[in-house]
Amino acid sequence: MTMEAIVVNNLTKHFRKAYDKTLKGYFISLIKREKRYKEFTALNDVSFSIKKGESFAIIGKNGAGKSTLFKTLSGIIYPDSGDIQINGKVAPLIELGAGLSRDLTGAENIRLNCAIFGLDKERIEEVYPKIVEFSELEEFIHTPVKFYSSGMKARLGFSIAIHIDADIILIDEVLAVGDKDFKKKCYAKMEELRDSGKTLVIVSHSLKPLRKICDRALILERGKVVEIGEINEMIDKYQDEKKEKKAKKNKKGA
Amino acid sequence: MFADIMKYKELLYFLVHKEVRIRYRNSFFGFFWTLLEPLGLMVIYTIVFSLILNVDDSAKGQNIDHYFLYVLSGLIPWTFFNNSMKKGTKALSGSSSLIKKVYFPREIFPVTMLLSNLVNFIPAFALVIAVALIVGQPIYWDQLALLPAFILLQSVFILGLAFLVSVLNVFYRDVEFITNLLLRGWMYLCPIIYPISFVTESNNAMIQQFEWLYFLNPMAVIISLYHGILYQGQTAPLEYVGYSIGITLLVFIIGWVVFKRLNRRVGEVI
Ligand SMILES: Nc1ncnc2c1ncn2[C@@H]1O[C@H](COP(=O)(O)OP(=O)(O)OP(=O)(O)O)[C@@H](O)[C@H]1O
Ligand SMILES: [Mg+2]
Repeated sequence: MTMEAIVVNNLTKHFRKAYDKTLKGYFISLIKREKRYKEFTALNDVSFSIKKGESFAIIGKNGAGKSTLFKTLSGIIYPDSGDIQINGKVAPLIELGAGLSRDLTGAENIRLNCAIFGLDKERIEEVYPKIVEFSELEEFIHTPVKFYSSGMKARLGFSIAIHIDADIILIDEVLAVGDKDFKKKCYAKMEELRDSGKTLVIVSHSLKPLRKICDRALILERGKVVEIGEINEMIDKYQDEKKEKKAKKNKKGA
Repeated sequence: MFADIMKYKELLYFLVHKEVRIRYRNSFFGFFWTLLEPLGLMVIYTIVFSLILNVDDSAKGQNIDHYFLYVLSGLIPWTFFNNSMKKGTKALSGSSSLIKKVYFPREIFPVTMLLSNLVNFIPAFALVIAVALIVGQPIYWDQLALLPAFILLQSVFILGLAFLVSVLNVFYRDVEFITNLLLRGWMYLCPIIYPISFVTESNNAMIQQFEWLYFLNPMAVIISLYHGILYQGQTAPLEYVGYSIGITLLVFIIGWVVFKRLNRRVGEVI
């Protein structure tokens, strides 16, 4: 038995910024002999490891590469170099509306996602009522998801992710739109999951709850790891940095 | 590939079921609705080509009775192909909300598309046989016994092309538009509105010269195989059937390899 849930070594990912996603655009740029894409480094030599049963936070500004990191961890995006080891089943909850198919109803989306994560029929019937109950969406469960509000999508996504028997749960900023009661319920659930031995990796811009839930944190800035360490220390550091920058700006302005 | 898909059979079942259910929301009526296109085309082609252009007079010389049935027995398999290609181009790009957020083998999407179209096609072809029985067209049972093999050949060809166009359409959105354009021309390169003898027994030197090229199109051969169930002498020569099987396998392999290669970047481009 390995102790590590996630081990990431020297992970690097470049994105091509495509100008035009058509053959027409391709031929035009071919004729004009212009460079078709700019490279952009979204993840730059990222290494870290997360122990089993640990709660880990990833903090960083918009565009730092947090969602990109989650996408490579869950296999949606292939890294250019570096390697990822994952021990256990991953439930990714990436950005809003995670894994929800717009045209399907809430009920169908629950079944779809359970099937995607390899639950068999019996197990699906077992967890289905639990998911519905946790999301508190009984009334809208047969409505297509495209008519859901952002908060409702977040509820459904979160409820599914915590019920598919995953060992590792990646939560990316999905609670930002939930209402106060639901957020509270989710944070409580996260603590419960952590105590039951699941590995949680959380991306969030609301830092306060992280202090309570997480053990350690990683600060990501423009695709690079700045520091990894104990949660309170990291959050303080991250906030200090922000304040410093603000102070500098103010000085310049003055 | 098949091991992967078997692992996700629950998911595959769910997706196919969903596709079919959406189409058949009103079960009986839904089935006829899917037949509306081929039946409508059949009426149009029968009017244009038999009443106005008199194709069926010359067809009668080739032992083609019931010209409308001849058209229909080619149009139904063609519609299967046509719909599969149209849906195939969107197989990945139409599921972007899922592909961006969770990972599972993406070949499931083209396979789902194929299976759900197959569910439409088989009863539709049964209807063709029923019509043949009603109007008294002889049925060649030895050929009918080979029907599963014909369907398999066509399915492999469709799946190979679907792999190719579905993944290309993620990178270049006008692949969809080009595919639709090609499909229109492609139909006339298959023996649907004219008997195959127009090609094999033509007096035109140019057609004679390019006969081999005509039969390199697997769809022409496949349609002719379906015709052979109802019309003697309408099957493409055997050596071309052999070629078609080879080309079909080649298309499948190319489609699969391209799909696997480009699949790596689908998650970020879509
Ligand atoms: N599919 C893509 N193609 C090209 N560039 C991308 C793609 N996805 C992300 N990027 C770029 O990579 C960078 C990191 O994006 P990412 O979504 O990971 O940020 P983030 O840390 O999650 O930000 P936020 O806090 O706003 O969620 C951004 O500059 C973004 O423009
Ligand atoms: Mg993000």
